[in-house]
Amino acid sequence: MMQVARRFGGVAGMLAVIAFFAINLPETFLTPRNLLNISQQISMLTVVAATMTVVMVMGDFDLSVGSMASLSGVVAAILFTQDWSVPAAVGVALAVGLAGGLFNGIVVSVVGILPFVATLATLTVFSGLAFVVSDGRTIFGRDIPPGFGDFARGGPVIGMADERALVLPNLTLVAIAVVLVIWIVLEQTSYGRRLYAIGGNRDAARLAGIPVVPLRLSAFAFTGVGAALAGLMYASRVASANPTQGDGLMLTAIAAVFLGMTLTRDGQPKVLATLAGVAVLGVLDNGLTQMRVDSYVREVLVGAIILFAVGLSALGRRGAARRR
Amino acid sequence: MPQLDLETISRRFGAVTALDGVSLSLRPGEVHALMGENGAGKSTLIRVLAGLDRPDEGRIMLGGEEIPPGQPAAMREAGLRFIHQELHAVKGLSVAENMHLDHPYPRRAGLVNWGALNAAASEALARLGLETIDPRAPMTDLGPGDQMLVRIASTLIADGDRPAWLYVMDEPTAALTSGESERLFTVIGQLIGQGGGVLYVSHRMPEVLRLADRVTVLRDGRHVSTRPLSETGEARIIEEMTGRDLSALFPPRRSDATPGEVVLRVEQLSAGPLEEATFELRAGEVLGVAGIAGSGRGALLRALVGEQSRSDGTVTLDGRTLNGGPKQAWRGGMAYVPRERRSEGLMLRRAIFENVALPHLSGLARLRYFLDHRRQRRVARDLGGQVQLKAASITQACEELSGGNQQKVLFARALAGAPKVLLLDEPTRGVDIGARSELYRLIRELSDAGLAVVMASSDLPELLGLSDRIAIMRDGRLSEFVEAEGLTEAELLSRFYHLSKEEQAA
Ligand SMILES: Nc1ncnc2c1ncn2[C@@H]1O[C@H](COP(=O)(O)OP(=O)(O)OP(=O)(O)O)[C@@H](O)[C@H]1O
Ligand SMILES: [Mg+2]
Repeated sequence: MMQVARRFGGVAGMLAVIAFFAINLPETFLTPRNLLNISQQISMLTVVAATMTVVMVMGDFDLSVGSMASLSGVVAAILFTQDWSVPAAVGVALAVGLAGGLFNGIVVSVVGILPFVATLATLTVFSGLAFVVSDGRTIFGRDIPPGFGDFARGGPVIGMADERALVLPNLTLVAIAVVLVIWIVLEQTSYGRRLYAIGGNRDAARLAGIPVVPLRLSAFAFTGVGAALAGLMYASRVASANPTQGDGLMLTAIAAVFLGMTLTRDGQPKVLATLAGVAVLGVLDNGLTQMRVDSYVREVLVGAIILFAVGLSALGRRGAARRR
Repeated sequence: MPQLDLETISRRFGAVTALDGVSLSLRPGEVHALMGENGAGKSTLIRVLAGLDRPDEGRIMLGGEEIPPGQPAAMREAGLRFIHQELHAVKGLSVAENMHLDHPYPRRAGLVNWGALNAAASEALARLGLETIDPRAPMTDLGPGDQMLVRIASTLIADGDRPAWLYVMDEPTAALTSGESERLFTVIGQLIGQGGGVLYVSHRMPEVLRLADRVTVLRDGRHVSTRPLSETGEARIIEEMTGRDLSALFPPRRSDATPGEVVLRVEQLSAGPLEEATFELRAGEVLGVAGIAGSGRGALLRALVGEQSRSDGTVTLDGRTLNGGPKQAWRGGMAYVPRERRSEGLMLRRAIFENVALPHLSGLARLRYFLDHRRQRRVARDLGGQVQLKAASITQACEELSGGNQQKVLFARALAGAPKVLLLDEPTRGVDIGARSELYRLIRELSDAGLAVVMASSDLPELLGLSDRIAIMRDGRLSEFVEAEGLTEAELLSRFYHLSKEEQAA
């Protein structure tokens, strides 16, 4: 009963947020164009939060995703200045993400350092590397090949509105593809269920024959690659790269996963719930910006809403626990 | 001391009625045994009594006055002390601090008085004859038996003007060896002698017959009877608990026991405390592993499953050498039911079927990697039926199950992969007598069908009733193998100790 209230409470809250903006911004908010716009704005966060979900189901964290996103952006941009082709530079940047993720995995699962400490350290390392690689500069303008910047601006046309084409942004498509892959991995494969088992009880999982160390290691590869991909998406969207541009992603991504957890029946991280969390944060940001709320006030509001939602769900859980 | 009355207590969890109008009177000066199958509602009643859970209906009266429900402090104030069923030790805190978790720490000038804290702990430990345990040692250094004894000791800590008089013990001996249990019984005798009362829950019938003055039986959350021990007995209690006559707890051995092929060959296996174990196990054989606490029973099983990394020796299962961890052991056809079901066995907050499927995910998947949800559930449901699991549905979270039913989930998990060798560590700890007879029947059926079983246990009747051979362990070594047929408990027990005496003489 309480659980039902808790879950639908979360959904109702989200609908209330949307209704609030729809009423206050009748002209611009619930238009297809704005919704497509929001989908593009949140695409990077979606990718990072979805891959963050993979490690959070094991009860782990990856704090280094933001600086990894910055690093991969500047790596690609620097390679562009050396006249590398777009696919080659993108490939190298993703490989850097994979390597960084595996490194996190080794430190956390083979060496056995707490993920909080380990990824806090690699956060600093990646961030420093981003400055070293880029020399602290922003790389933009003619250094960025047109093909790279155009990717974010393009996308298939899906209709017309106000005599202008409605474009489904390529970045949105990328985000959808990532969510789909993560959903299949977590919900439809035995690999994913084993990660959940590790989160459920690590010792029991090991004694039941689950190879905990390699699985934990491998899961961090997802966050590494996801962060690198998000960094590239960001660089493509702004057609430039600087060594701090991805930094804001980490906290928001973790917040999105937590928001999502308030929606699931058993309070577990689930990728579709994470997507809902991302959407709420995106809608809030877009709506508040349109209402010209000052950006600092916006931060206060968003933080308060996260606290409220997660707090409510914790109270509900305590109610459920009391009945035991 | 006045008496404590529970009046028509009811407690429902969703569709499950855990307690249905149960009334009970607890008096000083006697041991009151509370009996019932797994899930009968014993622990729920105790949690209500402890104020950890609020009843839907009913009152708790002390000498005619109501104690407010759902308030642990009020129950403490009324002089009640509890030992709950599941072990909870706070890591990082010392033994003495763990013993003071629900007592105020002794203080001096507002600061913790460590000397007094440790002294109070030592004193309580000494009453259980536990002088060897250092109150300053970290709790997690102790084995599970010692941890339980420490918890029992912590109820004996005197604190000031609120004397304790009623001690409630939920399966206190489940984790204890017979020697440790004896010490507990001595203390229970002392407590009664000093005018205290005890509410005692156990699935071990001999203890109850020996300790109890009165016996209350619960069944499916309802009160069946409360009688003085003199007016009831083993057969009657079991009948009232289960509605069945269980005079033959152990199913008969097969008469035409032709020994099967050798499935497990262990040579010179050393791992952790285990030293140079060598033996063979045949298909259809049940090997009991016996010995006093700390003799290495559990270590042997952990070494076999590969959890304890080995320093020497080989394990060959069905012709293939095992040298990896638990993963390879499960793959190769070994299944393991660990001793600590909550910390080592279950994902408590996850569904029954997920717990059952855990080691077999690849086998139950389509194309090896893609989950087949329906098949997982079907397997869990079939096996749940086979082990007579009592649960609302297989999607229920394991933490909602009673202790015995949690154990059955682990049995279902072990059997789901059709193993060749089954490793059981204390398989019926906390399992009620009805379910136990089912598990015994199951083990016998499986072994008749060719499954080889290694069963470490501290329960002597179980070792004797179920094993074909018994391996006796001492100081990490397999010291002797004996045929179980015809052996008595006394003979078996004497072999545990005889060897030590001989050795001392030498
Ligand atoms: N938090 C809970 N949510 C749902 N059902 C519960 C919960 N706690 C207990 N139950 C149910 O209440 C019933 C009684 O459980 P209880 O733990 O009291 O049994 P028990 O007699 O102590 O059994 P055991 O001998 O196995 O320890 C069981 O059916 C159990 O599944
Ligand atoms: Mg119980």
